[in-house]
Amino acid sequence: MLLASTGFVNTDAFAQIKKARKEKVVFQTPAQTTIAEDDFETYETEQSEEIYDPLEKYNRKIFVFNDAFDRYFLEYVARLYRDKVPKEVRSSTHNFLNNLYLPISVFNSLAQGKVENGLATFSNFLINTTLGIGGLFDVAGNRGLKYNYEDFGQTLGHYGYSSGAYLMIPFFGPSSTRDLTGTAVNNAINPIGFNLLEVGGQDKLLKTEYLIAINVTSGIDQREGLIDIVDDLRKDSFDFYATIRSAYLQKRQAEIKN
Amino acid sequence: MKKFLAAAILVLFSSSAALAQSASQSEQAKVFINDIGNKIIKTADDKKSSVEQRKNKIIAIIDGAIDTDWIARFVLGKNYKNTSDENKARFSKLYRDFMINTYGPKFQNYNGRKFDVTDVSEQNSFYIVKAEFLPRDSNTPIDIAFRVKERSGKLMILDFIAEGVSLIETQRSEFNSAISQKGMEKFLEDLEVRIKNLKSQK
Repeated sequence: MLLASTGFVNTDAFAQIKKARKEKVVFQTPAQTTIAEDDFETYETEQSEEIYDPLEKYNRKIFVFNDAFDRYFLEYVARLYRDKVPKEVRSSTHNFLNNLYLPISVFNSLAQGKVENGLATFSNFLINTTLGIGGLFDVAGNRGLKYNYEDFGQTLGHYGYSSGAYLMIPFFGPSSTRDLTGTAVNNAINPIGFNLLEVGGQDKLLKTEYLIAINVTSGIDQREGLIDIVDDLRKDSFDFYATIRSAYLQKRQAEIKN
Repeated sequence: MKKFLAAAILVLFSSSAALAQSASQSEQAKVFINDIGNKIIKTADDKKSSVEQRKNKIIAIIDGAIDTDWIARFVLGKNYKNTSDENKARFSKLYRDFMINTYGPKFQNYNGRKFDVTDVSEQNSFYIVKAEFLPRDSNTPIDIAFRVKERSGKLMILDFIAEGVSLIETQRSEFNSAISQKGMEKFLEDLEVRIKNLKSQK
């Protein structure tokens, strides 16, 4: 069987050489002829779900808008932020904002039954809020206390909800019906956010101006972190929309699995 | 009874031999990636060489280690069946050029302090080799993973995964979208133009 298959491969390769000479096409290495189809199948079954983008026509239009908004405004601001603001300040801002979102992550870790990750995230929040002076310094992270960030979109994914339709949100970028629902729930349960649950008889713990400031700064901080990646993708991609869509869906899938 | 014992011993032996073989293969996969990663960061850090020399050295390292024929077949995805043999061969060749000329210059900036393999696991017929790369100007290591497989008696890289995003999966999605919009001929022409531009960039 082995001999027969080896023989088959060789004759196949030989036939290709002859054909290649005849047609004057560039001959590929014989390795190509031995590629087993099942390789592709096993690979494909491991990969994330099929891309479902029924609103592609509209999504692409919003994408063009977002891309223009980014080139002319957001990217410009993010670069200014990188060039003008010292690294230490940017790093503290990043830590501070990150720390604000940790309670949501604790909630979602526990909701997914990931108790250890929930506790690690909670410790991180406590240590950084106290020793790290309100989250300005990532004391816990520097000491090697690691956790995975969990949001409500991931919680839905954990319980078997597929991403649904891919969505491009004006100004905010890629999402999906599942993740957009997740974002709404995250905001509702965020103690510093809208606090729709009105815990403690207070519907807003922070003034709207502060919330806007936090969200805008967070946007700039995130965009600054993506400067190099987005530069590369824009330059390298043959279809920027499709690249972002695939990368977003894969990343979310990986976050759900972790 | 004797026969049974003999059979049992044989089974035990062969399974442990298989285990040992797979253990040594995963060790080989680890050494393979460790070697390539360290060669790249060392070359990227080599201040004595010119930019051009460094680029060519890195291209030489990755060219022999990435199975671009396999990946080219993979990224064509659903278009593979409808593509003529001539275009398949053309794409395969262009894809190799595209990869080495895109990543050769890019990896030049990967002058890190450290490259360590942290874990090797088997997934179906592939090895997933996880590694940590510590850039020179940062204290945060970057996690990357490679998908490795023995191909024609030699270990080869089939994929590169960062933050859960697979390079070849993303490319397949991107290329297929581009092909369905422009058609194969136009796509191949665009790819040719891109490679020409990449080669002329210093």
